[in-house]
Amino acid sequence: MSLLAIGAVLLVLVLIGVPIAISLGIVAVVAMITGPSGVASLPNAGLVMFSGATSFPLIAIPLFILAGAIMNATGISRRLIALASALVGFIRGGLSMVTISASLFFAEISGSAVADVAALGSILIPAMKKKGYSRSFAAAVTSSSATLAVIIPPSIPMIIYGVMSGSSIVELFVAGIVPGVLGGLLMMLVAYLLARRHDFPREQAFQLDRVWSTLKDAGWALLLPLIILGGIFTGWVTATEGAGLAVVASVLIGGIVYRELDWSQLKKAMLEGGSQTAVVMLLVAASALLGDYLTEVRVPQQVAEGIMGLTQERWTILLLLNAFFLVIGLFLHSAAAIILVVPIVMPLVQAAGIDPVHFGLIVTLNLGIGQQTPPVASVLVTACSVAKADIWEVSKVNLYFISVLVTMLLLVTYVPIVPMALVEMFYR
Amino acid sequence: MTVTRAREIFRKSLEGIVLSLMASLAIVVVVAVIFRKAGASLVWYDEVASILLAWLTYYGAALAALHRAHIGMPTLVQRLSGRMRVTVVLVAEACVLIFFVALTWAGLRVLSVLGGTTLVSLPWVPMAVAQSVIPIGAVLFIVAQLMSLPDALLDTTEVKDDSIKSTQEVAER
Repeated sequence: MSLLAIGAVLLVLVLIGVPIAISLGIVAVVAMITGPSGVASLPNAGLVMFSGATSFPLIAIPLFILAGAIMNATGISRRLIALASALVGFIRGGLSMVTISASLFFAEISGSAVADVAALGSILIPAMKKKGYSRSFAAAVTSSSATLAVIIPPSIPMIIYGVMSGSSIVELFVAGIVPGVLGGLLMMLVAYLLARRHDFPREQAFQLDRVWSTLKDAGWALLLPLIILGGIFTGWVTATEGAGLAVVASVLIGGIVYRELDWSQLKKAMLEGGSQTAVVMLLVAASALLGDYLTEVRVPQQVAEGIMGLTQERWTILLLLNAFFLVIGLFLHSAAAIILVVPIVMPLVQAAGIDPVHFGLIVTLNLGIGQQTPPVASVLVTACSVAKADIWEVSKVNLYFISVLVTMLLLVTYVPIVPMALVEMFYR
Repeated sequence: MTVTRAREIFRKSLEGIVLSLMASLAIVVVVAVIFRKAGASLVWYDEVASILLAWLTYYGAALAALHRAHIGMPTLVQRLSGRMRVTVVLVAEACVLIFFVALTWAGLRVLSVLGGTTLVSLPWVPMAVAQSVIPIGAVLFIVAQLMSLPDALLDTTEVKDDSIKSTQEVAER
């Protein structure tokens, strides 16, 4: 089955509403049984769908998702919002500033942009609508800031990339810090300019005692990223173990310190975490199945040779790869795109002498932009459903915020020191 | 027994399994950290935790299918009209079901050739037990998909109305 046919069948299946994970599985199975071994190759699908879901470092995924769900159930998002409101609410368009800064805080706890949108959006989008912000703006700023949060550790796409490329997950996490903070500031600037144009209101005036009281209330929540990331960055625990500690810390803080976690909430958080994990992991396993087929028919080598034949200039190769990932991100979820495409382009990345950690950040940010661009845009869709807004109307406003993400992508791609400075300083 | 009652029992059973798997995974990882830090690493930790993840994936996937929570692109289907929409939804359903029937068969074939193979770290546990999640998970997915089909057909109409309403509100603004 040719690459073109694979792409076409995949597109048709996704367009008629077959879930992406299953579309990938169907294409892989069709490709396998129309190959030289025919139906005899089908049992292999059973083996790969199992082994694709058993990669050890991926265990960090359910645990980070669970920790995020528990923290959300224990009012941590509410406390972070109160702190952000005390810190930046006085600026024009205050609630949008609160959304962006709370997203950045929340990102340090949860690993998933969809979880961030659901947690923060359910509180902040209705609040923005009440204060006279348009629902399109409210959905757009929530959606884009959650995507930016994907490059701030811990990050599920980075974990998957680390597994697929064999790079250090810790170094990937560290590489995301500077671009994440820079992008957040830039996004706040854009939100401020839009707020001035549309005359969005400010929140309460800045008061030091309010900052202090909200800081005390959110103190334990802020301690969580220190525990999780501190343990991982210092090498005391691995990323998976750090995720396990995040679960324990969130249960202790939610249950004992805040006293807002009872059995029914814990049960709900675990079920939510279990379902979300399964959704991501089924994508991972089905992508592994199609990826296996593509590797078997030597697609990675062909792509590498094809592009190296066109150019050997590193920056041009990065431009081509960026364009490639942007297009892929339109149609595929980030987990699927990483598993399918990273093994295909890794020979090329290595041949061009690009640092795999630097490339990991480019991929993560690139696919983050894909989460904002229909047709397949999981984060945007979640924000629109919370805001009850039309996806195309939101997309018009979202263009301003997507331009921030694209600016960050170009910065990360062509000024490697931005993501790599901390990595070089502490890990090499 | 009514369909609603059967669906409720099915949902609660799946939820029970997913809860136990999630709790086991978290406990295994935390216990393993404690043992490693105490200088007595658990030999079975990596293998068992990985298998728990695979089980969580497939039992959880069936639960997510029951709630229609798998990521897809419903916008185009929602924009279609009555009969055309129902036809497209049913074709998509058929594709999903055929895939999982094929996966059930593939999973059973794998089980039949595994023979006496066991886990590496726990030689008393047959590999077939770990791998059984593929055929079992695939059958559960089929059941979940069929049980949620009537709601899915209704839902597409409701979402469509909601989306039209939102668009109108945006236009009014």
